[in-house]
Amino acid sequence: MAEVIYHPAYRDYSFGEDHSFSPLRVDMVLDLLGSLGHRVETVAPEPATHQEIVEVHSDYYVRRVAALSAGETVPDCEEYGLGTPDNPVFPGMDEAARWLVGGALHGARMIDGGAKRVLQLGGGLHHAQRNIASGFCIYNDLAIAIQHLTRRGLWVAYLDIDVHHGDGVQQILYEDKRVLTMSFHESGQYLFPGTGDVHEIGSGLGRGYKLNVPLQPFTEGESYIEVLQQVVPRALRQFSPAVLVVQAGADAHVDDPLADLMLTTLDYERIFRLILGWADEHTGGRVLFTLGGGYSFRATPRVWTLLYLLLHDLPVPKELPEAWRSRWSAVMGGQAPTQFHDAPLPANAVPARAEIERRNRQTADRLFEAVRPYWF
Amino acid sequence: MLVRDVMTSPAVVIPPDTTLEDAYRVMYEKQIRHLLVVEQTHLVGVITDRDLRLATSALTLSPHLPGCGISDVMCRDPLTADPSDPIEDAAFRMRERKIGCLPVMEDGAVVGIITGIDLLDALLRMTGVDKPSGRLEIRLPDQPGELARLTSFLSHRDVNIHSILSHPEGEWLRTVLRVGSIETRALAHDLREDGFDVVWPAEKPWPR
Repeated sequence: MAEVIYHPAYRDYSFGEDHSFSPLRVDMVLDLLGSLGHRVETVAPEPATHQEIVEVHSDYYVRRVAALSAGETVPDCEEYGLGTPDNPVFPGMDEAARWLVGGALHGARMIDGGAKRVLQLGGGLHHAQRNIASGFCIYNDLAIAIQHLTRRGLWVAYLDIDVHHGDGVQQILYEDKRVLTMSFHESGQYLFPGTGDVHEIGSGLGRGYKLNVPLQPFTEGESYIEVLQQVVPRALRQFSPAVLVVQAGADAHVDDPLADLMLTTLDYERIFRLILGWADEHTGGRVLFTLGGGYSFRATPRVWTLLYLLLHDLPVPKELPEAWRSRWSAVMGGQAPTQFHDAPLPANAVPARAEIERRNRQTADRLFEAVRPYWF
Repeated sequence: MLVRDVMTSPAVVIPPDTTLEDAYRVMYEKQIRHLLVVEQTHLVGVITDRDLRLATSALTLSPHLPGCGISDVMCRDPLTADPSDPIEDAAFRMRERKIGCLPVMEDGAVVGIITGIDLLDALLRMTGVDKPSGRLEIRLPDQPGELARLTSFLSHRDVNIHSILSHPEGEWLRTVLRVGSIETRALAHDLREDGFDVVWPAEKPWPR
């Protein structure tokens, strides 16, 4: 069983109708679960306080977000990544972002209080840095929740399967030896934010505990899962964390309009099952999932519904309910899929497959070369 | 980018009567490979860790002893750079003469040193992944106004350009931009609609 954290105020985290980071994605998940006959019971969090935000962010940055949120003019806001095409200003953005942080914090507190599987049905704002908004992320809910856990004496392994590098979380916790970060992403040579090379391994006491696996564009599920299995169990054995925190972005899906990896929902099912198995084996089953990126209306709601179902040990349906399909057909560009799962990609989908697999394998090897000197 | 933007200043200097042993100690403690040899205010030479190692190696015919002076071993009358030289000038001279550093001089006085590592740092700064950014790679016709057409496209979209690198490729100018946006695929789509030859982001091999 799993606890699910959600509040309708999460919907207010919205940069406008045409913006990629749409609250409709979670609406579609909740509606799909309802249409499948599941009664979704959620726990409501409180929004995080200003004090909780400045545990991670600079006060001068948070004050600028609050000012913009209240409709004031902040002349230097673009220096802080605010008021840009990616992160436009919207009224109430400070409070909306604090709701998402509050949800992640609530999840951390529940795990500290003995909960095992927790799903925060929102957030995953892994790009937000100490004093910069970036890639649709204003406050770093993950770093704030992780820091709460480490202050309670719980060492954390953070696994980021969003297709973009988890740069904000990594940067904020770069010197923290109590947090192992692992990010699997499309290589920064090709994709935003440009960082996440194997040689970024942490500094100071955190050296050797920040792991990055930059994958080749057009990587498919087989190769993705191969390196995931090559890296994660070995790192968890080495680090012995008390809790696993997972940013479950769905934008490594083949349909995603922002990136170039090629996972299907079938791959996501295997990945989620592996992660739950690792949590059972290495962290006593304690695992906090958040959402994240995922910009295809056709794919993302199914990936996150799948996550919900697997967390609750519920069966995965074969077909999508007709009522749900017709309600969301327009949002999905008039092409709602009929089956819950994608068809597997054809065997010849990617001409350079063998080369991509070889390079990903080599990346994982080079990662271990980089960190091995710092592992006891 | 100019030498003054990437040089290390002040440089570590030693007098010509320094012993090999003391020069070694300075390099070891400061974790550096190049020392400038200065008499009063006048530059007289450069000594590198390689000079020290070769001079004192047991493999040479008659190794210098630790107490010898550095003046027999150092390079005299080294090539120098001006703080206002473009870094590509400095890089060209260092590469051509196969040397690892240039003392930086202004009005006859040492004001700093530039090494191969400083040039690597400059390369990293120019390729611009010090800010979260996405990558666009475009083949422009090598003609007047093409780059301007590209940058004004981005300017109209309010997209900040963090860096531009370009090199000629036949009749094309291959141009790599790092832009302050996660939405490079959407940009690439619209650039193609506007007739640009976008190399990256590429179309997925198996579109749906």
